[in-house]
Amino acid sequence: MQVQVGSRILGVSEMPDVKMLNVTKTFDKGRIVAVDHVDLFVHDKEYLTLLGPSGCGKTTTLRMVAGLVEPDEGEIYIGEGRVSGLPPEDRDIGYVFQQYALFPHMDVWDNVTYGPLVKGWNEKKSEGIGREMLELVRLYERTDAFPRELSGGMQQRIALARALAAGAKLLLLDEPLGALDAKIRNELRYELRKLVKDLELTAIHVTHDQGEAMAISDRIAVMRKGKILQVGTPQELYMKPQHLFVAHFIGESNFLEGYVSKVTKKETVIELRGGLMVRTLDKTHKEDDKVVIAVRPEVLTIEKGKKEGVNSLFGQVEKFRFEGTNTRCEIRFENGDSAVVVRPALMTEWLDVGEKVTVSFPVEKSFVFPYPKRGLREELTLE
Amino acid sequence: MNKGIHGIDRKKLIAKIAVFATLASLFIFVFLPSFFLISFTFTKWPDVYTEVFANPFIGDTNWIEIQKHLALSLRLAFFAVMLDLLFGIPLAYLLARKKFWGKGFLEDLITFTLVIPTSGFGFATVLTWTTTSGLGYLIGRGIVDIDFLIPLINVPFMMLIVHIALTFPYIVRTLQAKLEDLEPVFEQASRTLGAFPLTTFRKIVFPLTLPAIFSGGVLAFARSLGETGATMVVSSIYTTAPIAVIRWVSQFKFGSASFLGCLLIVVASAVILPVEFVLQKRGGPTFRFFSIRRIEKKILKTEKFVSRRLSRIKDVISLIFILLIVILPIIIVLNSVALSWSHDPDTGRVEGSVLYQLFGPSNYFASLLKATMVSFASAFVATYVATCIAIPTVFLIERHRLGRFIRSMLRIPLIVPTSALGLSILLLWGPGGLKLVNPGVWLIVLTHIVFSVPVVVEPIIATFEGSEIPMFEGAARTLGATPYNTMETISLPLLKRGILTGFILSFTRSLGETGATFLVMGSDVTIPPLVVNMVEALAIPAALFASTYLIALSFVLLLVFRMVTKR
Repeated sequence: MQVQVGSRILGVSEMPDVKMLNVTKTFDKGRIVAVDHVDLFVHDKEYLTLLGPSGCGKTTTLRMVAGLVEPDEGEIYIGEGRVSGLPPEDRDIGYVFQQYALFPHMDVWDNVTYGPLVKGWNEKKSEGIGREMLELVRLYERTDAFPRELSGGMQQRIALARALAAGAKLLLLDEPLGALDAKIRNELRYELRKLVKDLELTAIHVTHDQGEAMAISDRIAVMRKGKILQVGTPQELYMKPQHLFVAHFIGESNFLEGYVSKVTKKETVIELRGGLMVRTLDKTHKEDDKVVIAVRPEVLTIEKGKKEGVNSLFGQVEKFRFEGTNTRCEIRFENGDSAVVVRPALMTEWLDVGEKVTVSFPVEKSFVFPYPKRGLREELTLE
Repeated sequence: MNKGIHGIDRKKLIAKIAVFATLASLFIFVFLPSFFLISFTFTKWPDVYTEVFANPFIGDTNWIEIQKHLALSLRLAFFAVMLDLLFGIPLAYLLARKKFWGKGFLEDLITFTLVIPTSGFGFATVLTWTTTSGLGYLIGRGIVDIDFLIPLINVPFMMLIVHIALTFPYIVRTLQAKLEDLEPVFEQASRTLGAFPLTTFRKIVFPLTLPAIFSGGVLAFARSLGETGATMVVSSIYTTAPIAVIRWVSQFKFGSASFLGCLLIVVASAVILPVEFVLQKRGGPTFRFFSIRRIEKKILKTEKFVSRRLSRIKDVISLIFILLIVILPIIIVLNSVALSWSHDPDTGRVEGSVLYQLFGPSNYFASLLKATMVSFASAFVATYVATCIAIPTVFLIERHRLGRFIRSMLRIPLIVPTSALGLSILLLWGPGGLKLVNPGVWLIVLTHIVFSVPVVVEPIIATFEGSEIPMFEGAARTLGATPYNTMETISLPLLKRGILTGFILSFTRSLGETGATFLVMGSDVTIPPLVVNMVEALAIPAALFASTYLIALSFVLLLVFRMVTKR
């Protein structure tokens, strides 16, 4: 019901795509490259998340879409129009700031109706939309409160209502849940997604929290050091990471170094350190290539004693932790490599430190990446 | 651990003595002189009354004069502050929010008019506007006459120009500091919601920085109301209240002088203290503006137009403003000194040259040298004593229950016009009162201590409140430091920058002070009154040289100031 009214008032029928073509932004006279030749396409009514460690350029990317920062190179389009050089007030966007930026000298009502006021909309329309938006975030009874009198969660909802009331066609969210307690954060992420979907908005959301990104997004763009490494649905990123860093940052992975020793039609055999052999379905590497195999901790199985089999590695338990839902077991293999195994707690045998075990994984459940030029550890650092 | 009862008692006793000594010195050196003039006027009321209102020969002429001078001072201060705001607000915004080439230089120029002894700057301004050595060069005669009165507002043009130049830095610096603290995120939020830059300024930046604009305005108003040095140089036939005080004292009309001084103190307090009181409330007040929709739309349209078309123009106007009122006078003085160094540029006579007046029969160089010695000695001693009082005062303000009260009281010496202060000191310690000190360098020191203490206190408080000293002190105490150790090894080093800043600000202020010094200096002339005397004796080349000298001195002080305050 509200959705229909909301859509009518907002006139959200024509929604924009956002296009970024070859966009670059440097700071400090070119010494810091914040965003490095980024191409990004956000579909109509899509919820896209920019995910990456802090300092990866995701907020700068968002600020360039908003017009708060001008790119050094490249073009940005919102809908049909090129927006480069256009000031933020002419871009028809809603922006939710990390610390909300609610105007401290205005009460809730003045904050929410600020957009309609400065855009010179008539009084009736402004009031209608202010009321609409406050009801949408369930804070209509707090119109007289000042921002400092509200809890973090409420402030967040007001910030959202304010951005929406300005008639935003495109919602830009800069770590909108970052300043909240874990519990409220989890509740609000579903509300946020529902709202964006109900109002049929396009949203670009910036976060460093992969759980949040997975729960909320249609698609995620993983960024690192100013570049977008991979764009895909949460499932795609988890199931088919195309980059070592993505495998590391989305979910969790064990990394084992080795060389391709044999490539057949069916499979590729990789030799790990100490001559251990592992089979994979990888088709992208040649013999003698140096590679890294990534295996998710949750696909590894663990058995007591030494068992022979496909992709079975023998080692001993170094650490064993109970983490509530899961157990986490760190194994040191014969060749000195180590791996983490995560299993549902209720389905796992308890293991003692020092116990001899065999770890194995299915042939199809591993990813093989070329060995990074600057070293594995460097490639996986978050900064 | 076990200090015993006597140990604790001794500590408490020392603490009590320290608090008492600080309070006592504050009272004797700062508060007593500030208020003495008022009590003097009341105790001598019959004499004052006769002289001002019922003089047997001239009736209430003095009272009429007092009203006239006071009215001029108030008009002048009011319009100076209004124009300060007009030019100062865009300038502060420019400095706080934009990065551009030459920004450091611009900031230095603004600080420069704060540190320059004003009589020299006044002379430079006169030269710029009223003579052919200045802007008049372009049209063959002075741009304005020195006694040109701006119609409608009845304020002498030269006084207004000089007062703007000397007071706008208070607005710019206060507002700039506030804007730098205010995160740009509010402005960005406003822009993303569709507001134009000017609308954003009106609805977001202005209300949020209003307390700073007010307190900057208060400082500027107080400075304008008390300004003497430059005003005397540019005054021509006009007399402001502080000048009248000085003139009457020199004519031994103490009744009129003290009554006018009192009125100055009362008026300044009545205008300034209420504003201060509102602003000192925790967090400052929140201002809400009600807007009327119909006008709102028109305003928005104008703002859109201005934001789009005229945004650069306001920056350009601000820069031209600085050029005209600060840079140009300096250049013109330097140029004139060079031109008349060895002979008068117009007549070619040697008697009209800088060199002749400095080393010839009038020997102004010797006077200048002696004045420099007196100025530096009195400024240094006054600042040193003031700093010794100020440091414990800051701890008192931060820790003692009387703290807030003391802090408010310390605003008063800053707003008491200095000529009134000089008179007060003269009547308190000098030959007119307790006869403890004769006019001369020591009386100058006593006078300068009064306004130096609050000048030193302010930056120290700012540093104190900005550096989380209680946290570090707490940490030191948990590590086993005694209160005294903590003070010596933690608090004072952390406050060093604030103390140095205060010291230099106070030193420059003391060096440039004219109004009070005129009354208390006796034969120990300092530099700023010397420049005024030179101008009044029409020794223009000597005044030129002295002004150049003061400008050079100010640049040195500015460099020191920069080194100390550089982050």
